[in-house]
Amino acid sequence: MKDSQIQNTLARLMVGGTLLAAAIMLAGLVWYLATHPGLRPGDHVFTGEPKYFENPVSMVRRALDWKEIGHRRSLVMIGVVLLLINPVLRVGFAAMGFAAQRDRLYTAVSLVVLAVLLFSFFW
Amino acid sequence: MDELTFDLLVVAASILAGTIGSLIGLGGGVIITPVLVLGFGVDIRYAMGAALTSVIATSSGAAAAYLRDGISNMRLGLFLCVATTLGAVGGAMLAVVLNQAVLSVIFGAALLITVALSVRKNPKTDPAGDPSDPLAERLRLPGTMPDGDGRKPYAVHRVVPGFLMMGVAGILSGLLGIGSGAFKVVAMDQIMRIPFKVTTATSNFMIGVTAAASVGIYLKRGYLDPALVAPVALGVLAGAFLGARLLPVAPVKTLRMIFLTLVTLIAVQMVLRGFGINWG
Repeated sequence: MKDSQIQNTLARLMVGGTLLAAAIMLAGLVWYLATHPGLRPGDHVFTGEPKYFENPVSMVRRALDWKEIGHRRSLVMIGVVLLLINPVLRVGFAAMGFAAQRDRLYTAVSLVVLAVLLFSFFW
Repeated sequence: MDELTFDLLVVAASILAGTIGSLIGLGGGVIITPVLVLGFGVDIRYAMGAALTSVIATSSGAAAAYLRDGISNMRLGLFLCVATTLGAVGGAMLAVVLNQAVLSVIFGAALLITVALSVRKNPKTDPAGDPSDPLAERLRLPGTMPDGDGRKPYAVHRVVPGFLMMGVAGILSGLLGIGSGAFKVVAMDQIMRIPFKVTTATSNFMIGVTAAASVGIYLKRGYLDPALVAPVALGVLAGAFLGARLLPVAPVKTLRMIFLTLVTLIAVQMVLRGFGINWG
């Protein structure tokens, strides 16, 4: 695998992932607002967020829970998760590309960055 | 105000922030947070969470174009991401223990520095073409960039100071929920003397990865409210797209002057707000 191939695949992942995430968020937001008129915004006071917001996995699990499908937040949440995991996938893919090149140094560098990201999301 | 009105106003403000950000070369994050805090009364922690998520969205588009054109230096970017992600995790953990007022003051100060950095002229980088540092060579950091029909090699200097500065950029990103692109550019072009085009391109690639490292910590602390993240990220993304389209036709110099003045005032107000003084 050549550098240019890694770069092109990464570029596609970044644009495709971002557009998909944006489309899902937009659909979720429109649905949410259309089905819940008259709600008051609650961002003036910090209350934290519920436990299932802890990490991308718990968010997706919550969003896909059958009781929650149709919950006003589930689509928006999936969109947000897609956005957040894009950089993680980016680094993971770079690690695979460098490994295919047998570039040990940069496979290791990518894996260190990946480890920091995973630590941040799941510690 | 009901939620629909609130969201529509937030989307409108985010589009504006994203457009201005891309026109004057500041990220959307550093503008949208004060707008949410000062204009909408949103808690700074929710504002930071939404801003940082929008940073991931916008940096991806620009970074992808640079990657495809072969301008970014992937190895350099990933190597420096070790520093920025570690810094970001540290900064995000620090943000959790600081109170809103202190965050507000640090945010204003960082915004003022960002403005000062972006007013400064782009320096000439490495005209003499002296060789890279031995450490940079060993890490295979020097690369080539498109030049006319072919590619031109460039050198990389002062790896350790540059790496440390990247750590600082990471801390600021996690602490304040910004992309800290301006600080990354300083590390690469001022300290490591990498050509400006490569610096900008590589910085864009790094911003998303750095931001993701902070967002993980923010999530756990409940800084991400999807109901706010969605309109902000969508608005800033649309604004950045619009800004990129306007860039060739807009009177950029005049706009820069106007908006940098405006951003300076916003920065001062964030500082004053931290000290409990509100005006406007």
